[in-house]
Amino acid sequence: MFPRVPDQHKVGRPLIPNGLGAFYVLFTTVYLFLVYFWQQSVNPEPISAAFTLAVCVLFGGFMGMMDDWIDLKWRYKAFMPLIAALPLIYYAQAIDARTSITLPLVGMVDFGIAYFYIIIPLIVMIVTNVVNQLGGLNGLESICPAIVIAGLMVFSPNYMLMVGPLLFWLILAVFNVSGKIFVGNTGSFTIGMTVASFAVISDLKVNLFISLLPFIFNSALILLSAFLIGKKASVTFDGKKLCANSRKSLVTIITYRRPLTERQVVLIISLIVGLFTLLGAFIRML
Amino acid sequence: MGETFKERLGNSLSGFNRFGIQISHGTIIAVAALVLILFIAVTIRLLPLRWENLTAGTSYLNEFDPYYQFSATKHMVDNGLLSPYYPTPWINAMKWYPVGLDMSSLLPALPMTATILYGVVSLFGNIDLMTFCAILPAFMAALSCLILYFIGKDMGGKAVGLSAALFLAIAPSFLQRSSLGFFDTEVPGVLGMVLFIFLFMRSMDSKRSLKASLIYSLGAGLSLAYFISGWGAAYYIIGLASLFVFVLVLLKRYSQRLLITYSITFGLALMIGTKVPYIGLNYLVSGAILPVAAVFLVLILAELMRNNITIKSKLTLVSASMVAVIGGFIGLWLTGSLSSLAGKFITVLNPFIRASSPLVDSVAEQRLSGWGNIYIELGIGILFFLVGLYFTLRNPTNRNIFLLLFATTSLYFATSMVRLLVIFAPAYAIIAAIGIFGTITPFVALLKGTSKNLVKAKRKMLRVSREYSGLAIIIIFVLIVSNLAFSPQSGGMPRAVSQAYTPTAISGGSLPVGGANLNANIPVWLDAVNWLQTNVESTDVVVMWWDYGNWLSDLGNVTSMADNTTVNGTQIANIGFIYMGNENQSLAMLSSYGQKNVKYIAVFTVLVVQQQSETVYNVYPAGYGDEGKWVWMARISGQDKQRFIDQGFISAADAWTNETAFGEQVSGGWQWNDRGLSSVVELLLNDAEVTYCYNLMANFEDVTFAPDLELEPSQYFKGIYYAGLYTSPFQYGGLVPLVAIYEIQWDLYNAAH
Repeated sequence: MFPRVPDQHKVGRPLIPNGLGAFYVLFTTVYLFLVYFWQQSVNPEPISAAFTLAVCVLFGGFMGMMDDWIDLKWRYKAFMPLIAALPLIYYAQAIDARTSITLPLVGMVDFGIAYFYIIIPLIVMIVTNVVNQLGGLNGLESICPAIVIAGLMVFSPNYMLMVGPLLFWLILAVFNVSGKIFVGNTGSFTIGMTVASFAVISDLKVNLFISLLPFIFNSALILLSAFLIGKKASVTFDGKKLCANSRKSLVTIITYRRPLTERQVVLIISLIVGLFTLLGAFIRML
Repeated sequence: MGETFKERLGNSLSGFNRFGIQISHGTIIAVAALVLILFIAVTIRLLPLRWENLTAGTSYLNEFDPYYQFSATKHMVDNGLLSPYYPTPWINAMKWYPVGLDMSSLLPALPMTATILYGVVSLFGNIDLMTFCAILPAFMAALSCLILYFIGKDMGGKAVGLSAALFLAIAPSFLQRSSLGFFDTEVPGVLGMVLFIFLFMRSMDSKRSLKASLIYSLGAGLSLAYFISGWGAAYYIIGLASLFVFVLVLLKRYSQRLLITYSITFGLALMIGTKVPYIGLNYLVSGAILPVAAVFLVLILAELMRNNITIKSKLTLVSASMVAVIGGFIGLWLTGSLSSLAGKFITVLNPFIRASSPLVDSVAEQRLSGWGNIYIELGIGILFFLVGLYFTLRNPTNRNIFLLLFATTSLYFATSMVRLLVIFAPAYAIIAAIGIFGTITPFVALLKGTSKNLVKAKRKMLRVSREYSGLAIIIIFVLIVSNLAFSPQSGGMPRAVSQAYTPTAISGGSLPVGGANLNANIPVWLDAVNWLQTNVESTDVVVMWWDYGNWLSDLGNVTSMADNTTVNGTQIANIGFIYMGNENQSLAMLSSYGQKNVKYIAVFTVLVVQQQSETVYNVYPAGYGDEGKWVWMARISGQDKQRFIDQGFISAADAWTNETAFGEQVSGGWQWNDRGLSSVVELLLNDAEVTYCYNLMANFEDVTFAPDLELEPSQYFKGIYYAGLYTSPFQYGGLVPLVAIYEIQWDLYNAAH
């Protein structure tokens, strides 16, 4: 039914349906609309968090779709999320959101108006791209963002917004881990946008930053390798295990001269993300 | 007999075939959709009728400016189409007392259109002129949408045309300025603009015959003339069209047809446009119109260069032309002709000039629009706009180049002035439509499974299956629906809908209220103008801040001193002085206008009533009336401080520059100082507030309505009518509008002086 692409890390490279993240977009939108209608009937608000999140998710889906269709160049992909920051900026201004960020050891840094016009767009752009970049293995692109979202939900006053979408995403993740589906660019862009938007709406910037450190580290390595050395990270697959000859991404660092199965790599990275998410939670509770 | 309805319909439709008329399903759907869009365009604009006098079938106009247009229309209906201009300019003595307002400075397109159409409609039956003028904008807006459909159709097919028409029909900025009662310059402006674009683009179409091209050029010229004589923003579209032609020449797309089209269009438009008295021949040498001549010169040069002439001759021609253009500019600059650009248009190009002009800045519609306004206007549709720009850029045909220039320049101007969002609306509508269909078409083609060529052409399409295409279309659909139906940027209610729930300013009592819960109009202002009509002579002058001048003269049938035309800044400063000075200073100024005619002064205030305890209610000013506008009175009169001192109206020690002379902003609101408390505006506002409170207490025993302040009554101003005095405190969500009219007691003043 869906377009099929080869699973690179399986024997015989079986064709796997790709782009099922589109269902996540539709489910999340419908869910958030329902939450919005329910909230409006209970406690009408001039500007709604559910609606803002729905729009951001739609933005993410649209971008992913465009990528699936015309294979956007990275320079467009990198900056397109900036447009998606608009609803968030508007929301943050409308609810008179806190413009400061409390950093551990440093204390509170108030960005003033720059928070709306510089920090929020930067958060959206960076988060969407780093989440999109940590992928390529079955389960990696679906489980890691789910861990981050779960971590954010613990502290978010708007956790209800993500209950349905997270459950749906986890169902997709189960199929993804078992190698039956890929979420595609639509999925990975949308989940990245979800993470960024949910964190901004919930005012959980520090949690977000700490949870995403493994993602940021991965992207920094990829970008530095690409710019400085001019080579992309790659792993070899011997039919059972993955192995890398260089250290140009998180996956290749873990598999550098240490052959591991795909599941093992995904588990290790998920654990790292989980640890950082816990660390973020711990720092917040301090 | 046994024929079903479906069969009968089928037989009737097949009758068309006998006449050789073949109508495809696609056409039927497109026409039906277009009719529906136009129906929506009209009805959504007419929904505020619910607050008008439906039993009598009459409606008021919205805001303030439309009454100025109405005044001219009424004069034309009564005295002939050219009466405001010929044989002598009509000076409306009921406005801008004592000089009157020269109505020949009014752009004629709107009142003439209304007069002619009113004449036609009157053939079929009687209709109140004001009601006709109130509903006319809705129909003219629908006509603009229809024309935009044809522009969109030319640019990207029927689907793009239909979407563009729909987007324009519900574009908040356009909707607001063409809804019930908005009988103002934008209405013929937008119509003239889209008509001009449609015809101008067609006239340049090289696929059409020369004869067709000539006809379209003539049409474009006429529509541009209509635009010039309808809206001051014609500067923009003239500049845009010149820029477009210039860019075509730069891109080496010059053709003889371009020269012919350009000459006919602009020649005809400017020939007719300059016949309008207010515009005149000086228009031709104004800074914004000169580029038309320069581009014409460039076209002639291009034509000459096209011919086989020597390099030497070419160089001579180019040098001579450059000398002519530069010399011409220097000459005009030295003679001062270039300075004739109206201040408003310069402020569009450089908005920061406005900081020094409180009179221009005090008008909300001329304020700088932030990014927020753009986002509220476009919502997430901005995504399709950007995608549309990308598609347009990728395929730079002549039409698309025009579209790109139109979109980018109008967006720039829209960010410069809020009301110019209305110029951007058509550009946005077409480009967003192109964006949507550019994105959706390949998916639709895949879904239909008829796009082998497309799959080959776009290798990446191979990655996308039919089912995925279906999902993609649904996502795009949901995105559009979220924007159009739920509008996250305006709290879930699209502005198109909230606009339909907003009464005309006067029927809404000039309050920021509306919505489904407002069951009837707020008659405060209507009562005030009716009282004036009945009790005050039309030659009597009623002083009020300029916002309400047109309501006083056109509805109240009394003479006003200032209105929205703001033609006389000195007089507005004087009125500011009248309100901000103490009673003696104010009456000295009023006296200078003649005690015989200047008999009344009025204020409009909005109060808030809040419950403090079971028996005590606090009353204080809300800020929507003169209690908010007095700041501008202080600032504008403060600019003429030296003049007031020189003319002996005030001493240098007492004179002020701005509002800070009257008090200060504290945490609980504005704190008046002694001078502020003795200013006429505060005396009158407080009197209205106190009178309202006492009146309530007379009706509700055991309940105290406590004003925030109670001043000594005024010496020389005697309250004779308070419209809204009997408004229940919670009828409009705690807001109470009041129009208080005072008689000036000249005998007391003269006795004391």
